[in-house]
Amino acid sequence: MADCLKDKVGSVLLPGDIFSFESKEEKVICGPGLRRNGDEILVCKSGILRHKQPNMYWIDSQQKRYVPAKGESVIGIVTVKSGDVFKVDVGGSELASLSYLAFEGATKRNRPNVQVGDLVYAQFLIANKDMEPELVCMDSCGRANGMGVFGTGGLLFRVSLGLVRRLLAPQSELVKELDRAFPFEMVVGLNGRVWVKAQSTQHMLILASLLETCENMTAPQRQALFRKVAHSAP
Amino acid sequence: MAGLELLSDQGYRVDGRKPSELRKVQARMGVFAQADGSAYIEQGNTKALAVVYGPHEVRGSRSRTLHDRAVINCQYSMATFSTAERKRRPHGDRKSSEMSLHLKQTFEAAVLTQLYPRSQIDIYVKILQSDGGNYSACVNAATLAVIDAGIPMRDYVCACSAGFVEDTPLADLCHAEESGGGTSLALALLPRGGQIALLQMDARLHQDHLDTLIEAAMTACKGLSDVLDSVVRQHLQEVSVLTRDLGVCFSASPCISVRKPPALYLL
Repeated sequence: MADCLKDKVGSVLLPGDIFSFESKEEKVICGPGLRRNGDEILVCKSGILRHKQPNMYWIDSQQKRYVPAKGESVIGIVTVKSGDVFKVDVGGSELASLSYLAFEGATKRNRPNVQVGDLVYAQFLIANKDMEPELVCMDSCGRANGMGVFGTGGLLFRVSLGLVRRLLAPQSELVKELDRAFPFEMVVGLNGRVWVKAQSTQHMLILASLLETCENMTAPQRQALFRKVAHSAP
Repeated sequence: MAGLELLSDQGYRVDGRKPSELRKVQARMGVFAQADGSAYIEQGNTKALAVVYGPHEVRGSRSRTLHDRAVINCQYSMATFSTAERKRRPHGDRKSSEMSLHLKQTFEAAVLTQLYPRSQIDIYVKILQSDGGNYSACVNAATLAVIDAGIPMRDYVCACSAGFVEDTPLADLCHAEESGGGTSLALALLPRGGQIALLQMDARLHQDHLDTLIEAAMTACKGLSDVLDSVVRQHLQEVSVLTRDLGVCFSASPCISVRKPPALYLL
């Protein structure tokens, strides 16, 4: 069953579907959910096929459980402080390790101020099935770039992975609509965790319940809900 | 033979079905918001609910961790109101432990556990109404729940029971047929490759009839796999309708890592 990839953009695919190319010269970048198998492309995850010009394809799948992948930025909770390493819970199948030297300006004498229970925004350095996942709070140049400990005050809650990707999209309508309601500060981790902080506890709770419920709404329903909240927000 | 006639002269069974006819199957995925994957299935009057958590850290004893694959932990239980007489002991009795073990064997054959070493996948199944074919309903519900959780599997796992009455194999037995004292065989199949994940029979059967019985069960399983496939596709379609209108785009790197400043300072 070798169809053309272009025809199936926007349709639902299941793992096991196979595609081949029309012409040998076509170059295709396989995103998440697609794998190359010799001359064919195999679908590995169930979802919708998406396309971005000029030649990138990926599967948009919906899942609740996060599987660590290298380079992704996530929100973790520090659970154990043992020796030189912090153990951080990222919601995957194992605790990830975060070395105390992986912060900007950290040296053996100058340790970062991280306590058990703190929230950290970090990136995966190593994340594969054979090794324990490792996080770092700085980029390759040694700068923090927004990563590190955060979260005094504020509320952390969980949403599904699909909603998180929608929030992080470049021109996210969700964020623009939320923005119109009231001012807030938000940190979004690709492991399904979102942290918000607003002027009052009530606003934070409203934001949390809005994000948790708007996932399964169509765009008009969502806009109506946000407008109602914006009008009645104190 | 005294009692209920399992197959009438015209070839109809107790509930009016033909010998190779399956009961009506209705299923739904994603019924629980809290669990990673969940599914509900009704096969005739048998109703089963399956919930999947994982892959997550191995809880309880660390010694159960396997270094190269995931541990699958299954638990089978029946609701106290599921049978005609109120069930005194829903968990922990011998039948439940045996069923849990069978489910574990079935799913260890189907789930790609090598992708998640040192972790655990939990599958909990509960029978809400029992009218024969308990094991089959559990396996089918658990398959849908594992698919809903996004855990990779080799193929759908479809299960069906089969019986033998007067040289005719019956597919998908109901409670009256199972407890009538005749043969009853439960088969779990990976339909695409025709591989059997689990085969179980507790009664006595003449060797000559075994092949016909397994054939009947395999045909029934393949029919079930078509139904499960259509349920999965329909569920994906419904979910995708909601996310389709946004037209989400990703940045140029081939993996889903959008490098944005983490805290959006608004107003």
